[in-house]
Amino acid sequence: MMAGASRFQRYAPPLIVFFAVIVLWEVLVDLLNVQRFLLPAPSVIAEAFFRTFSTIMSSAAYTIRSAVIGFLIGAGAGILVALTTARWTTVREGLMPFAIALNSVPIIAFAPIMNNWFGSTNPMSKIMIVAVITFFPMMINMVRGLTLVEPAKIELMRSYATAPLEVLTKVRIPNSLPYLFNALKVCSTLALIGAIVGEYFGGPRESLGVYILQEAQLFRFDNAWAAIIISALLGIAFYLIILAAEKVAIPWHASAERE
Amino acid sequence: MQSVVSLKNVNKIFGSAGRPTTVALKDINLEIGRREFISLIGPSGCGKSTLLRAIGDLIEVTSGELLVNDKPARQARLNREYGMVFQAPVLFEWRTVLKNVELPLEIMGVPKAERTQRGRAMLKLVELQNFERHYPWQLSGGMQQRVAIARALAFRPELLLMDEPFGALDEITRERMNAELLRIWQETQTTVVFVTHSIPEAVFLSTRVVVMSARPGRISDIIPIDLPYPRNIETREHPRFFELVTTVREALRKGEEMRET
Repeated sequence: MMAGASRFQRYAPPLIVFFAVIVLWEVLVDLLNVQRFLLPAPSVIAEAFFRTFSTIMSSAAYTIRSAVIGFLIGAGAGILVALTTARWTTVREGLMPFAIALNSVPIIAFAPIMNNWFGSTNPMSKIMIVAVITFFPMMINMVRGLTLVEPAKIELMRSYATAPLEVLTKVRIPNSLPYLFNALKVCSTLALIGAIVGEYFGGPRESLGVYILQEAQLFRFDNAWAAIIISALLGIAFYLIILAAEKVAIPWHASAERE
Repeated sequence: MQSVVSLKNVNKIFGSAGRPTTVALKDINLEIGRREFISLIGPSGCGKSTLLRAIGDLIEVTSGELLVNDKPARQARLNREYGMVFQAPVLFEWRTVLKNVELPLEIMGVPKAERTQRGRAMLKLVELQNFERHYPWQLSGGMQQRVAIARALAFRPELLLMDEPFGALDEITRERMNAELLRIWQETQTTVVFVTHSIPEAVFLSTRVVVMSARPGRISDIIPIDLPYPRNIETREHPRFFELVTTVREALRKGEEMRET
């Protein structure tokens, strides 16, 4: 009873806001007589969503593939480089300023270059842009997680005369896991942005970015909006998968956070 | 009496070339016997924590001879002959209470079954046997510190080094922890070196109180505590307890005056 009431209290406000915005949007588009190409009404978008769902999803498959493969390469490389530099302090100190500087560069601006290098219809052009975009946040966060360890924990390990490799596996790596998952969440969003925006600069016909671009150019804005909503849902799904993995992998952290 | 810790003319100077140096420890001479409970007390900056860390080979001394169980401190550390408890519990958030206590045993390669059995025995010793599956954040500060003590004792070190372990606790919890530590000390065969700011705590716990003074950090007095055992709440109301508290307080003040002149 109590749990039901508190769950209702938790979910009710965002749901009310969501439906209020949809209704307001629908009413305002009608009242102000907004042109369809400027902003279609939610009902129009919903109609396009169900009508074009299978077409959009077959295009989205290509984009999802680029995002996931690029994400795995970029995040994986970020983790590996971080683990390597955790061992060699001088390498890390030489590398970190550049990593932080490059991380603040809008890497998506390199998308046309990648298209030029690999060919815009070659999946590698999108995979590489996603890999580069996800590499830096992953590496930087992972280095932080491996190095920002409570000094007393290191002293304690010293008092046990612990071998350096065991300090890595028993202290540094577990300490880095919350940082790792935070970076994965950031990267999951970045991966989709990278893949879709990369496609805006040229890609195969069957891809989410090219579909949105084409439909917009042909003034089929209802279809474009439906595809945008699908990309939003994909982003949320990607994020939730990582959130679920986090709950399983580091229950001690998620539960401490709830407190 | 066989010495567990033996310090002869130990000096520790902090500082690097071109910078003003700090004499953290000056001419420290101290013999700590088996089964003793030694408190190091003194004002901030008197080097009591530095001295404790030097005994544990967490820092190196500049000169002098520092032996633990008749070996250089470094060798004693490599042999894992002491357990350490800090002011903060320093528990590993990702380990349950039992897994935290088992940590040193894991590193020392103790087989799993024995690890669990010894971990449980230690938790019983600190009266936390019902919390083995909890995570550290689910425990109060006093309970966390008891886990840290259980962990330090898990591999049965002969020497226990404690750096203001109860400094962050409230007075009531602290007095209870003092009584508990004394019971553990008597049940195990451990020698304890204990750093504290609190005079009553030092008097209640110790066989001898080592009074230190600052700039340079040195030993200004050593006061034997002849309170009878078992020590309990009544001990704290014993006239002799108050006499000894006064003695330590005066020794601390005298140490400060010596510095000023």
